[in-house]
Amino acid sequence: MFENYIEDYNEAVYEINKEGAIEVVERALKDGITPEQVVFNIIIPSIEEMMAEIVINADTNLAQHFMTAQIAAEVTEKMLTKFKTPPEVIGRVIIGSSYGDLHSLGKRIVIGCLKSMMVDVIDLGVNIKAEDFVNAAVEKEAQVIAVSSMMVHTATGEDGSSGVRSLLKERNLEEQIKIVVGGAPFRFDHELYSKVGADNWAADGVTAAKMIKELILEVKAL
Amino acid sequence: MTPLEILSATVSGEPAPRVPIFCNVLDQGAGILNMLPEQYFSKGEYVAEGQLKMLKHYGHDNAWSASYVGKEAQLLGCKKILFAKHGVPNVADFVLKSWDDIEKFEIPEDITQHPHWQSTDECLKILHQEVGSTHPICAYVTAATSLPVILMGMDKWIELVIAGPTDLRDLLVKKCSDFVQQQLVAYRAAGANVIIYANPFATTYFIPKKLIVDWSMPWMQHDLKDGVDSIVFYGGMGPINSVTELVIDKLNVNIFYPAPEDDLSESKRFINGKGLTSGVLDDIKMIHWTEEQTRNEVKRIMALGKPGGHFLFGTGFMPLDIPEANIIAMLDAAFEYGRN
Repeated sequence: MFENYIEDYNEAVYEINKEGAIEVVERALKDGITPEQVVFNIIIPSIEEMMAEIVINADTNLAQHFMTAQIAAEVTEKMLTKFKTPPEVIGRVIIGSSYGDLHSLGKRIVIGCLKSMMVDVIDLGVNIKAEDFVNAAVEKEAQVIAVSSMMVHTATGEDGSSGVRSLLKERNLEEQIKIVVGGAPFRFDHELYSKVGADNWAADGVTAAKMIKELILEVKAL
Repeated sequence: MTPLEILSATVSGEPAPRVPIFCNVLDQGAGILNMLPEQYFSKGEYVAEGQLKMLKHYGHDNAWSASYVGKEAQLLGCKKILFAKHGVPNVADFVLKSWDDIEKFEIPEDITQHPHWQSTDECLKILHQEVGSTHPICAYVTAATSLPVILMGMDKWIELVIAGPTDLRDLLVKKCSDFVQQQLVAYRAAGANVIIYANPFATTYFIPKKLIVDWSMPWMQHDLKDGVDSIVFYGGMGPINSVTELVIDKLNVNIFYPAPEDDLSESKRFINGKGLTSGVLDDIKMIHWTEEQTRNEVKRIMALGKPGGHFLFGTGFMPLDIPEANIIAMLDAAFEYGRN
C-alpha cells in the first residue's frame, strides 16, 4: 500500500527536490494516510533505504545526505503536530562539535535523521568541552553522546572524545552512556574511533543515525 | 637536478633521477621555531624561516607560503581566527551570517594592498629569494564554488547551492571567482610556482556529477581564465578520479593531486601520460602507524605510481600528531623507493 508513496518520496529526495517530497506527503495525507503512517511507513523506510543505497552506491553525495536529513526532519516535525497521541521517543542523544571545532554540517545530518527516527536530540552546538557533554548527558538522562570533529586535533585532543571517555570512566557512567564520533579524520582512519575512546563511528551522517539508534536500544536493554 | 627541475621533468615526461617528493608540513613550523601557531602565522618571516628550516631538516622538495585556509576568509573580511595550541587555525567568524548579506558583500579591490596579504607576500619574497630557483614553492587557492564554505559555513552553502535561489548563489560565486583570479595573479607575482587549486565542490563526494558539469565547471573556467600554468587540481577532502577526465577536457589542467581514497592505478590510467598525477599517502593513519607500516605504505604507493613516470609522491596536510620518527621513515622510504 505504501510502496508507491515511498518510491515517489525517495525519488524526490534523491533528486534533492524538497517541494516534490512534501507534495508526496501531502498527497498521502489527502488519500487518507494518517500522519503516524506517513512517518513510520514512508519517512523512516525512506531513510533506511537511503542507508542501504549508501552502502551499495558510491555515487550518493554529501549534499544528498544533508538534504535527505533536512527534508525528513522537516516533514516529521510537521507530522508530529498532527499525531493523535504524542509518539514514544526511542531514547535521547546529546550531540555537539568538539572543543575548538566550529563545523556543524555532519552534526546537522545526524540530527535530521535521528529526529525522523523518533530519537530525542539535544544539540549543544559547536566548540563544546568534554565536561559539558557529560554534564548534559547526565542531566538529560541521555543514552548516547555524539561528538563531531572535522579536524584532526579536535578529534584526537583531550577535549574531544578522549576527554568524554575519561570523565565517563571517572564517574562510573560507561555502561549507561555510550560515545559515538564522526567527521573527516575518522573517515581517513577507520581505527581512530577506538583510539579516542569512542564506542563506535560512522562514515556518514545517515549511517551514524542508525548506529546511534542501535546503541540506545543496547543501553536501554541493560 | 634540483627539486624544481625534477618536478618540471616529471610533468613533461623527461628523465629524472627520482620521483618528486611533496611533504606538506605547514603547522609544524611553529614548533620548530618554538612558537605558538598564532605568533608563528603573524609574520611572513617566521613562516619562511620555519619552511626553510624544515626543508633542510627533512630534505623534501616543496616549501609553502604563509598558509592556513582561514587566510582567504581574512582577506574577505573575517574578523576572528581560532588558533589552537596544537592544531590547524579555524575560521571563527563567518563573514556572511545569512543569505541576505550576499548582496552587499564586497571583495577587496586589490588584495595585495590588504593587511592580511602582507605576511603572505613577505613569506613568498623570502622563499623566492632563498629557494625560488631550486624548489617548488606552493600556494593554496580555494575555487570560487567552494570558497563560500569559509564565508558562511558548509551547511548554509550546501543549502544555497542545492535548494536556494540560483541568482543569489551565482552572484556570490561571481564575487568569489573575481577574488580567485586576483589571488592567482598575486601568488604568481610574489613567487609561488605551484598553486594548489582546491575545489571540493567539483567532486562527486560533495555534489552530484550533473551539478559539477552544469555549474561548477563553468565557474572553474572563469576562475582559471588567465591560464592554468602551475595549477594543481585538488579536490579538498574529496576523491577526484570521477572528474579527472572532465577536468583535463574542459580546463586543460594536467597536474592532479588526488585524495588517498582515490585508486592510484585508476588515477594513472586517466592521466595516461597527458600530465602528472600524485600518489597521496593517508597521513592521518601515520599518527598511529609504526615506522615499518609507514615505510610499507610508501613502498606500495611507489610500486603503483612510479611505472610509466608522470608521478609525484605526496602527503595530505600533515597533522601535528604525527610522530617525528614516522615523518623521517616516510621520507627515507620515499627517496629509496622513488629512485628511477
